Amino acid sequence: MKRSLLIIALLSTAGFIKAQTKTDSTTTINSTDSLMKTLSAPQKGEPVIATFKATRLILSQTTETVKKKELNFLVIHRFGDIGGAAGGGKTLWGLDNSSDIYIGFEYGLTDNLNIDFGRSKSEQLIEFGLKYNILHQKTDNSVPVAVTLIGKTALKPYHVNTNVYDFYSNRFNYLAQAVIARKFSSVLSLQVSPIFVRTNLPYPFLAGNTHNVFALSAAGRLKFSKRMGIVLDYVHPFSNFRDNSVNPKFYDGLGVGIEIETGGHVFTINFTNAEAISEFNYVTNTQSSWSKGQFRLGFTISRIFDFNKKHKSN
Amino acid sequence: MKYIGVILLVWFATNRSGQDIYICKNAVVTLYSKAPIEDIDARSDRGTSVLNTATGDVAFSVPIGSFKFDNALMQEHFNENYMESDKYPQASFKGRLTSKPDLSKDGSYPITAAGIFEAHGVKKSCTIPGVITITNGVVSLSSEFMVACKDHKIDIPKLVFQNIAETIKIKVTAAYAPYK
Repeated sequence: MKRSLLIIALLSTAGFIKAQTKTDSTTTINSTDSLMKTLSAPQKGEPVIATFKATRLILSQTTETVKKKELNFLVIHRFGDIGGAAGGGKTLWGLDNSSDIYIGFEYGLTDNLNIDFGRSKSEQLIEFGLKYNILHQKTDNSVPVAVTLIGKTALKPYHVNTNVYDFYSNRFNYLAQAVIARKFSSVLSLQVSPIFVRTNLPYPFLAGNTHNVFALSAAGRLKFSKRMGIVLDYVHPFSNFRDNSVNPKFYDGLGVGIEIETGGHVFTINFTNAEAISEFNYVTNTQSSWSKGQFRLGFTISRIFDFNKKHKSN
Repeated sequence: MKYIGVILLVWFATNRSGQDIYICKNAVVTLYSKAPIEDIDARSDRGTSVLNTATGDVAFSVPIGSFKFDNALMQEHFNENYMESDKYPQASFKGRLTSKPDLSKDGSYPITAAGIFEAHGVKKSCTIPGVITITNGVVSLSSEFMVACKDHKIDIPKLVFQNIAETIKIKVTAAYAPYK
């Protein structure tokens, strides 16, 4: 009895084993699968890339830096007023005029540190800057934002017939800025940026104007295709002098545009009331208003040149 | 008690396949394509692989974001515009060797694996050639195959067409360790 019971038990187990070997292949596939899953689990905290496609939006710089040994060549242009007294058909809606032109170079000393040089038509401003991407947003949100710090010095070299530049140091201006950006999805990126501008000779040079201006900017990009997006850019200077000034009146800078990426180039075609391109000029001195037709067509061309050695086949 | 011992023996014998699993956590995957303006050349050493020599199951996976290009802009475009690595973070192959070579002796064994290759969220069944090499008992596998961008719905816009080849050569090399 005991023996027969054991034999039955053995037989049934043998049958079970047979069934087991039949399903063996599927279970090992499953184990291969689960093994692969544990092996290829995404690493935590990968840096988020391409929060913005370029180092510039319309008015603002972005958190993006030019990578190591790459050179970014910038041409930024603002035409004249489309409407208002200076616009209309007689100036081909501003296309006859250029309110500002900026030529700039940005070079990557490292992936996170850039040295920048630029020259504006407005105020003949020559500027040098450093830009450092101090914090990268992480995919697991352990770091929710990217932070980039910008410091610039600008010189106004032009000749004057007054004594305002008797002290040569009056030609110098300084800027400190922190840009805080978050890529919410592949479609939406937003940034805010506190800006501090110091003008050794208050600009514009008017009674009551201050040397120091603090401003806050907000900007964003909404992509509607992989390579195109709408950009919006706004800046508000916190300045009693500007708020209370009646003649001239000061306005906040506001720009809207379309950004197009074509591989090595990023183009932005925009409309903005700000006449100037450099922060030194538009933060402190935007006197044109959207509501008076004093907005203009503008564009930014950003072209990256790569100076990394060409790769030898591995 | 004797019988229980026998049952356990049989059990272990049939389940022995668990001892034939090999894994690799640092498989090297390279991409290469020749194009009129710029060659595309990228490398990742973060591929993972599982090889089951008993069943012939073989699986590969590589995080798209782990590919390093010499040109940082190309790397960004690869992730942002072509592979959309935030949506499709991995490329993978899952299949089975069509024939199981005897892997007990050192040597090189040409193999083919039939299965599913997935990239950019698009699955495609394919047969991939490769070589399994045994050196002093260490199992490694290498493979080289072509992938057509259009098979995986990777759009190449007309504007940058000349920059990108329509097919990419993929090389995979994995040195395995037994899975314990």
